[in-house]
Amino acid sequence: MEKTKKSTKRLATAKELTRVVSEFYLECHQAKAEGKPVGWMPPMNGAIELFYAMDLQPVFPENWSPVCAAFGLTPANFEVAEGMGYSQDLCGYLRNIVGFVHGMMGGDHVPLGGLPEPDLLVSASGGCIPAMKIFQIMEHRFPDAHVFRGDLPQVALEHIQPHHVEYAVHQMKQLIEFLTEATGRKLDYDRLAEVVRLSDESCALWDEICSYRRHVPTPISAAEIGIMFVLVTRQGTQIAVDFLTKVRDELKERAENKIGIIEDEKLRLFWDNIPLWYNMGLFNYFEKMGAVVVAETYSAAWSIRMDTSDPLKALAIKTLKSYPLVSCVSVETRKEMVLKACREYKIDGALLHSNKSCVPITLGQADIKRALEEELDIPSVVIDADHMDDRNFSTAQF
Amino acid sequence: MSSLSDYVSEFTRALENPKELIDDISRSGKKVVGYFCTYTPVELIHAAGAVPVRISGGPMRIDRADRLAPSFLCPYMRTALERALAGDFENLFGLIQGYTCDVACGMFNVWKGNIPLSFYHILSLPYGESPEAKLFFEKELVNLADRLSDHDMEVSDAALEQSLDIYGEIRRIMQWLYEKRYDGELPLSAREFYTVIRGIQVLPPERTEELLAGMVSSLESNAGGDARNPGGTPILLSGSLVEDMDIFDLIERSGGRIAADDLCTGFRHFDPPAGDGRQPIYRLIERYVAHFPCPSRQRARHRAPLLIDLAHRSGARGVVFLIQKFCTPHLTDIPILGRELKEAGLPSLVIEMEETGVMEGQTATRLQGFFEMMGD
Repeated sequence: MEKTKKSTKRLATAKELTRVVSEFYLECHQAKAEGKPVGWMPPMNGAIELFYAMDLQPVFPENWSPVCAAFGLTPANFEVAEGMGYSQDLCGYLRNIVGFVHGMMGGDHVPLGGLPEPDLLVSASGGCIPAMKIFQIMEHRFPDAHVFRGDLPQVALEHIQPHHVEYAVHQMKQLIEFLTEATGRKLDYDRLAEVVRLSDESCALWDEICSYRRHVPTPISAAEIGIMFVLVTRQGTQIAVDFLTKVRDELKERAENKIGIIEDEKLRLFWDNIPLWYNMGLFNYFEKMGAVVVAETYSAAWSIRMDTSDPLKALAIKTLKSYPLVSCVSVETRKEMVLKACREYKIDGALLHSNKSCVPITLGQADIKRALEEELDIPSVVIDADHMDDRNFSTAQF
Repeated sequence: MSSLSDYVSEFTRALENPKELIDDISRSGKKVVGYFCTYTPVELIHAAGAVPVRISGGPMRIDRADRLAPSFLCPYMRTALERALAGDFENLFGLIQGYTCDVACGMFNVWKGNIPLSFYHILSLPYGESPEAKLFFEKELVNLADRLSDHDMEVSDAALEQSLDIYGEIRRIMQWLYEKRYDGELPLSAREFYTVIRGIQVLPPERTEELLAGMVSSLESNAGGDARNPGGTPILLSGSLVEDMDIFDLIERSGGRIAADDLCTGFRHFDPPAGDGRQPIYRLIERYVAHFPCPSRQRARHRAPLLIDLAHRSGARGVVFLIQKFCTPHLTDIPILGRELKEAGLPSLVIEMEETGVMEGQTATRLQGFFEMMGD
């Protein structure tokens, strides 16, 4: 077992990922060069669709971290952040991006050209504390950027009430007003409706893709989960819809022909929490023993179906739901989601990643573990690791 | 007339055995509602006829809690869960939490799934102060009041008015005591002073008000004895909860004097004392949106001038960050805060606390070095 290892991809569409990722970052740099406003934002919220509808370029510093992990840049970024006084106990996403923007950003040899500097910062309160704090630090780092200080209700999915939605809609309107003022671009509501429709279509495709994972043998494993990159970065675009359609078609064909992602599927596993971005090869390690990770909690956060008849409200609801869906804000809902997935995907065992870089997803795992055992008789094992920092991952536990 | 130390003793007793305290209040016929963070609107809970009691953790060895939560959480949340699993809170009626950080919110849900209480409620607080933010907060408060009334805990305007008055008075007295402390006129050690504050967070407010009124009389008649400013380098203590009272002695023994703080077992619990408004619910809203900020709810650049102001008002010449280990909000703010404080001429030192306290020898050496560096 190696401490850091890239995954082996077998799907034709997964093999296209390098191109898909490169094209996105190329587009970000082109936008900057052409004078299109570039805005940095946290993931899992409806701001992305607003940006695409207003022809603005969204950039996701949190998503840049897995890219850094894949390119082996994280140790250098951590060194910069920790040298500035950011504790090693803090989330790896936070330390990585903080180290990056104060270190190698703008340098000559940064893979994919790095990130273009932001003209806009969507500095939202809501989501997890590290996500919130990342943007507060970015405000400090990029003092010339226009800053939107958003405010989002922190509420469990099962407790969302009309006033939460009303406030989230109000915040979306505030964001539109801010973007209009900062960029001089007006939102075309017909264009927004189209973007939201495309976004919902991506989610529907993602649900369909996941449905093929129910097949035995599964035509896709977590080792290829990087395909969800388009769900993170390109929600609301035709590019996402086209790519996911290709993925869907490939999986459909494999499922119909009973072509498994491995030859001899013996065990079907569930993965809870964010994967080890520096060691996606871990999923292949299990596969050598005939065990395939066929479902995970993390991927669900990017697939929230929307009522496209009211685009703004739909985006507000999506924004409210995304983070609680996978975090300790809604332990009960998350537990039910895991149990449902384990039933539907015919899971034999669960791998619970106790993730030092992500308390919100790790908290509640003990309850999930117990429910799996008591309600479904599914055994599980806790893996101590960290989604970004390989110093917190010991191969000895295997 | 009782002496100051008599009053402090009652606060000390209230903290010594959280279970006994809750059991006693429950036996008196009152419902006890626990809370973790000072963003929980205690006035509303009190107006519903219950006694709000801040959940205690305290330095201890962790055993049971590790089975339900990872070890990389703040000691407060781990030790509080440990107590809960040991049955210390079995007579608690419920738990209410104003949303602050990931851990407090997540642990609320872990409690909900594992500690059988009659009532659980978490409310979302706005980060902003716009009219829409306040309207949203009002709806959250009304929602909480409705849920309480479903459990025969009605909140009337008159009761809320009364609760706001009593908590406002307690906070005003505490701010007066802080002023005395800034001026070196409070004859209490740091341990005694912070014991009073933590005691306030667990005792019924009616009793707290009596005790504080007694302390004020005692001070005004000088029955508390002469102020005994212990000397030492004046510092501002910045952090969240401090339950390990030994650290206060350690700071003083090492040559420091805590001139001010922004702890949530300290100044942050009392500032501002109250809010203005024509109706009680607006008074409540105004108070909480103006809450002296916790880093989970505000940016470092906003907090820095507040800390610098506190330091200037109190004469503090440096800042000791006393942090619960793994506390993301505080740890994240420290690099920016530290730089801004330094630019304002305030050096800083970071000390992390674990569930069994701090490493005394090592911490004492660091503190002594820090105080010596600042000079007399």
